[in-house]
Amino acid sequence: MAAVAGASVEIRDLHHRFASRAGVVTVLDGLDLDVTAGGYVALVGASGAGKSTLLSVIGGLEPAQSGSVVIGGQDLGGLSRTDLATFRRETVGFVFQHFGLLEALTAAENIELACSLARVAPAARRAKVRELLEAVDLADRARHRPVQLSGGERQRVAIARALANGPSLVLADEPTGNLDDASTARVVALLESLPAEHGCTLVLGTHDLAIAERASRRLRLRGGRAVEETAPAAVNAIAGAAPTGPPGQQARR
Amino acid sequence: MTWRDVIRLAARTVRRRPGRAVLTVLAVTLAAALLTALLTISTTAETRVLEQLSSGGPLAGIKVAAAAPDPGQVDQDNAAPGAAKALDDTALTQISDLPDVRDVVPIVSSKVYVITPARDRDNHRIGPFFEDLVGVDLTKVSQLPITPVAGRLPSPGATSEIAVTQGYLERLGLQRVDAPQVVGTPLQMATPQVVDDGGQFRIRGRWVKVTIVGVVAQEAGDGQFLASSEMVQQARDWARAGVNQSRDLQLSTSPYTGLFVVARGIDNVSKVRAQITAIGYSTSAPENLIASVRRYLHVVEIVLSSVGIIALVVAALGISNAMLAAVRERRREIGVLKAIGARDRDVYRVFLLEAGTLGFVGGVLGTIFGWAIAEVVGRVVNGYLAAQRLVGVKLTLPWPVVVGGIVGSTLLALLAGTLPAVRAARLPAREAVGGG
Repeated sequence: MAAVAGASVEIRDLHHRFASRAGVVTVLDGLDLDVTAGGYVALVGASGAGKSTLLSVIGGLEPAQSGSVVIGGQDLGGLSRTDLATFRRETVGFVFQHFGLLEALTAAENIELACSLARVAPAARRAKVRELLEAVDLADRARHRPVQLSGGERQRVAIARALANGPSLVLADEPTGNLDDASTARVVALLESLPAEHGCTLVLGTHDLAIAERASRRLRLRGGRAVEETAPAAVNAIAGAAPTGPPGQQARR
Repeated sequence: MTWRDVIRLAARTVRRRPGRAVLTVLAVTLAAALLTALLTISTTAETRVLEQLSSGGPLAGIKVAAAAPDPGQVDQDNAAPGAAKALDDTALTQISDLPDVRDVVPIVSSKVYVITPARDRDNHRIGPFFEDLVGVDLTKVSQLPITPVAGRLPSPGATSEIAVTQGYLERLGLQRVDAPQVVGTPLQMATPQVVDDGGQFRIRGRWVKVTIVGVVAQEAGDGQFLASSEMVQQARDWARAGVNQSRDLQLSTSPYTGLFVVARGIDNVSKVRAQITAIGYSTSAPENLIASVRRYLHVVEIVLSSVGIIALVVAALGISNAMLAAVRERRREIGVLKAIGARDRDVYRVFLLEAGTLGFVGGVLGTIFGWAIAEVVGRVVNGYLAAQRLVGVKLTLPWPVVVGGIVGSTLLALLAGTLPAVRAARLPAREAVGGG
């Protein structure tokens, strides 16, 4: 598979609030975040800390209420709904905890759907589907519907779909939340290989510290902000950049 | 996303929820079936009348009289003034040669003296009476306003068979339902002739025994008895062989009592009437009656169509409701579609196509089912008509009904699916993600 250039992530002063019966809940409160192109960042935090919200904002699923979000040099704040759809189609690959496969379609068709949204020619998309299914080791499951697949297999199909249009940024939201240990290991290995094999940036939200510790960088969402938990040496080694503050301070990478 | 992909996705999604899809399609099917059945039945009824109007037959017929016009026949009679003119073979040829005339059937009649063995309701004998015997070419009876009610028509050329009208039944104090009672009854008929018996005129009769073979409703000529033209012609010849015939027995000097002219369709009736009037004869035709019947049929068609359309609208509301429920249930799926790059219009098209698919399938099934219903109704109607000794109807499923049923169902479903499709398209992409 041809590698693509990863997309950098630059977030400044991001605020996000939800209205609930109990009142307004502040999820993100002046969050700053930098992820270099091709990086692998794990977001950790308690439930409700804002991992999914942050991933939604980064992926253009949800507009930023205030602050700026720049992905691969593109400011999402100025994009229309149609432009955002194009951004998601061309730049981002999503992997959800619930897999997000369409039950009416087979594994191959789920992957092909992403290609068809990008108007890839039928012959090319069939070849792409074959290639991706082989990459996730599910070539023999192409005609199976999601209900006929195990949780781990579904998530591998979802990863294949996320890669269908050669994204420069892959966002995974609790991708192993519904998987057993064996499947978790396989899915994590597959995800971890993406930056190296596909050149894309990977941002993974999880509450599983064991998985997060395997990431190049680990950021904890606390109080609406992202706090660096990675050892400075490791950060320097991964990013190849000048060291910043010690773990616990606001992430600037 | 190409239309092909949209159609495939919509079809797959419909198939995934078979229970809901079947119920929704069933509603459309029933509505389309109702519309198709009602329209087929009303169109068939109208077609049957129009067939007679357009291809000739009694309803496109014009009665031509030898006599001067009757001013009392306002609205039907062509009251052009003029002297009485005999209807002879020359007139028949002249009228037959008119361009828009399909056929001309001569009608003859003769006064007869009748003795019947029948008794009235009080068991009193019915006394002898004078009545007109109407004769027509019985091989052309389908062109004439003659409908059998009971029994059969006299055989062509027969000289001992007659049919009677409802007027004869009334003379006997009978109703139309009693018509079979008189079939097979013998009658004695005498045609009067005035003879000069040594300077004194006396009347003698030519007696024949005839059998009533049927009861008819007829408007070919004025008279309670219908026979073959051969039989009537014999009677006329006998009467005319006497003397002083035209005065004492009021015998017509015209070879034919009247002509029944069949125009090439209802649209030509007025033109043919004008041409016949120009030749010098008086005419009458039930044009106003036909126009009224057509208007009535049209109203019936509108009413029946409205019932079917209301049913379709109700079914469309069912589609709308089912699709709105689907949007509520599939919020996450819609979010996922958007997360992988679907635009609002892609989602809109998927939901619209789903609604259209339900409408199309329902429309096709409904049209087939509706045709089956119309067939069953047609058989019941034909059974009734056969019992009434009337010609059955041939059911026709007009192409506009087929196309209208399917296209109408699909369009209504698309219309019904618009609101759910818009709602689906406007759902935010964040529906793909659970809470943070």
